[in-house]
Parts: sequence; C-alpha cells; structure tokens
Amino acid sequence: MNIGIGGAGSKLASISSDGECIAINVSELELSKVEAKQKILAVTHSARGQLRGSGKNPKIGREAFGSIAEKLKQVIKGNTVFASTGGGTGNGIASEVLEYLSRLEEAVRLEDKTVFALVLPYLKRESYEYVENTIDFLGNPVSSAIDSGNTGNIILFSNKLKFEGKIPEYEYNKMLADSLNTFLAIPVKGEMYKLLDGHIDFEDFDLYRAKPYFNHFSCFSWDPDQDFETQLKANYNSLLLLPERAIEAMFLIELPTPAKASKLYDILDYFAADNVSPVYGIVHNPELKTPQITVSLLYSRKPRELVEDFKKMSDLYTRNRIKKSLEQHVVLQSSKLDKMNEARRMVEESGTNAGDVLGFLKRIGKL
Amino acid sequence: MKELFEKQVSQLKEAHFLILYWTAKAEEKNAKYNITNIFDDLKYSGATRTKQSAVSFVESLSALCFVDVTGEGNRKHLYISPFGAKALEYLLSESKFKIKKSMFLEGSK
Ligand SMILES: Nc1nc2c(ncn2[C@@H]2O[C@H](COP(=O)(O)OP(=O)(O)O)[C@@H](O)[C@H]2O)c(=O)[nH]1
Repeated sequence: MNIGIGGAGSKLASISSDGECIAINVSELELSKVEAKQKILAVTHSARGQLRGSGKNPKIGREAFGSIAEKLKQVIKGNTVFASTGGGTGNGIASEVLEYLSRLEEAVRLEDKTVFALVLPYLKRESYEYVENTIDFLGNPVSSAIDSGNTGNIILFSNKLKFEGKIPEYEYNKMLADSLNTFLAIPVKGEMYKLLDGHIDFEDFDLYRAKPYFNHFSCFSWDPDQDFETQLKANYNSLLLLPERAIEAMFLIELPTPAKASKLYDILDYFAADNVSPVYGIVHNPELKTPQITVSLLYSRKPRELVEDFKKMSDLYTRNRIKKSLEQHVVLQSSKLDKMNEARRMVEESGTNAGDVLGFLKRIGKL
Repeated sequence: MKELFEKQVSQLKEAHFLILYWTAKAEEKNAKYNITNIFDDLKYSGATRTKQSAVSFVESLSALCFVDVTGEGNRKHLYISPFGAKALEYLLSESKFKIKKSMFLEGSK
C-alpha cells in the first residue's frame, strides 16, 4: 500500500492508488482533504503546527515522527513512500525514516525494501525555504540511506514541468501518478499478455525495485527501424530528473502484432556497451496500434553531486533574490547555502605527514 | 615469499591503501578506529559507497594479515600488523595512491 507523508506526499499516494493508501500529516485540516483508507495524525508539540501544518519547517516533521515511529517502521515494509522534499512534514518525517533505515545494523530484506517517490521543488519558481530544505534532505538523509543500501529505488519527480507548463496541481499529480503506474504495470503486462520473447515476472520486478538506486522510467512509442539511443534520449521522462548512465535496466516492449522483434537485439547491444544486461520482455498487446516500450534505468548519482547541481542552481537563484531584495531595501535572511556540504569536501593531505606515519611505525617496532 | 608479498600488495586498491594509512594514523594518535569509522571515511573520500564494500575491504586486509581486527560485533577495532606496515611503506614509496584525510581523525571534533 502507498504511504503519503505531508501535503504533496498524501495527495500523490492517494491519486496513484485511488485512495487505497495511508495518509500521514501533522495538520488535521490537510488530512481531511485527502481520500485515504487510513489517516494518521502525527502529533507535534506546537499547537499552531497541529492546526496549520509544519510551515515549511522540517523540525516540526522530525519532532512529530516520534508519535508515529513504531507504526511507520512497520507499514513502510515493501511499500512506496511519497513525500515532497521542500516542505516541513514530508521532509521531516521522511528524513527520520531514511535515517532510521541507514542506521539499521542488519540489511533490510529484499521484500521489505521501501521505494521512495520524492517530489523536488522547481528552483526557479518556488520559495527559498523549499530549496534549502531539499538541499539538506538530499545531502543528508537521502545520501546516507543510499549508502547504507537499505532503501529500494528512489524516484525523483520534479515540479519543473508543472510550473513551466502552467499545469493545474491536480492534473499534474495525475500525470505523475500515471507515469509511475505505467512503470509498475510492467510485471502485470508481462503476465497478462502473450509473451513473445524475454521474460519479466513479479519476482524479477520486486528484485529490481529493491535496488538502492535512482530510477528513471519512461514509456513511448517505439519505432524498431530507428536508432534506439536517439529515441530513448528524445523520450526521457520530463516529470523526472534526467538519468545518468544506467547501472541496471529493465524494459517491456508491447507489439500490436505477434511479430518477430529482431530489433530487440539493437536495444540489448545499446545496454551491453555499458555492461548492462537488462531484464526484459516482449509481449503481444492487441489493443495497441503501434509498438510501445516502457524502459527503466537505474542509475547512481553520488548524492554529493546531486546536491552540487541543486546548489549551483540555487546559488544563482539566491544571488538574484538578494540583488532584488537590496533594490527593495528588504533584509533577507542570511543564507546557509555557502557553508552547505563544506564539511564533506575531502581535503588531500600534504606528502609530509606520510613520512611521519612510517617513522611512527618504526618507533613501535612494526616496521 | 618476497615475490608473493609484492604481488599481494600490487593487488591492493585505493580503499585498502587508505584503510592501512588511516589505521596507522589512528594508532599513532592513540585513537580506536573501527569499521563504522572506516565506512564513513571511505564514503567521504569517495572510495566506496556501501558498508558492505567497506567490510569486504577490511576482510581482505585481514585475510592477508595486513591488519588485526579485535573486538566483537560493531565494536571491532583495527590495528596494522608488521606485514601491513610493510605494505603501507611499499605503497607510499610507489606513490600509487594519494593520501586523503580521515574525517574521523582530523575532521570536525
Ligand atoms: N506535484 C505537486 N507538488 C506539490 C503539491 N503540493 C505541494 N507540492 C510541492 O511540495 C512542496 C511543499 O511541500 P508540501 O508537501 O506542501 O509540505 P508538507 O505538507 O509540509 O510536507 C513544494 O515544492 C510544492 O511545490 C502537489 O499537490 N503536487
């Protein structure tokens, strides 16, 4: 079952499951607005937070996690968690969940892995707090959870198209949900339609979604006579962040006729160049007019790099804002951004210390 | 024997080298250095991303008798062995890898 945390998280979890989900929020008002099979009110110490939500402050979400921790740790097993990275509730509670997963001594079992579907703010249009919260979230909780290997796929939705395309929220959420559900339908179609080549079943699929990498998926009409790489690149999913080189891949081709698909080998060649052997299947779907392919790429992006990208854009954005606020004589909160991640930057030591350590080893008789 | 030793050392990766170096440094500073510290340091230096691989680097060093691992569970501490010290000396003289800072030993207090 889907689990939605916070405003955006609850709405997305609900829409993509037709209400068969668990919605979690600190705000009763927000909870009352979503359709969910189960609603969980997380408790904050602040009366204002309880009434009006976390006001873009992840601390309130983190604090509220305590009231639902045990329950949440159970229900996330094998499920998908939805949250936005910009707000206070989704970010704060999901941060605690990710940190809990990273601290586990025992590796999480495959079938218990949790997929995280996260909505990133669009830098150019959304508020500064949303951006700053996201940087913290990606740099810390997401980063350590990936390192621990204890999460399933991480899906990074972006709100870019929502703002640039001026798409109403409900419609945009439906687009996100449809896109995710098309990916999730791969094993269903693999079993439902006549198999022409390859093989994907629920077991393969569960194994795939349990891998701790970023997942970029896309579905498009496939022209067997055109170069696959060109088609793939032209059809990257604009609702998701762009992928890096794939480490693993999965695809399902649906053909309108039970024809041979020798062009399949071109796709396999394309992935083989990166040493990737995809899980794949080709099925006959009589409802289609033209061939269609659903592709998923698992890629790894060092969270540090992800944060760097995000930071680069947001520095630019912050500079513009500061400039603007100076013009308007408004005092702007000083930015923590520059200090961001500095502690993590590795420094190379000068060669002189190397001699020291050998001297020490000689002194204690190990050398 | 010398041939075998050189062959073994030549197989070591950057992460092995860093672990040997940091372990020696930790001993010099009288600090107890454990798997979790190693994992954090390897992660920050970009040498590896998962705890499993950190553990396997340590296991291979231990199998080669380059480090001694003592203690129980997550509290296992590492000490460099005389063989490990030789291996470290060798790798330093070859300058095959660059030394990187250990956050545990020199990072924020
Ligand atoms: N795609 C989408 N984004 C949303 C929606 N609601 C809020 N957001 C985004 O989520 C961020 C704010 O987080 P929100 O989920 O409202 O805060 P929370 O309730 O404190 O977790 C901002 O980046 C918003 O643009 C929604 O319904 N759909």
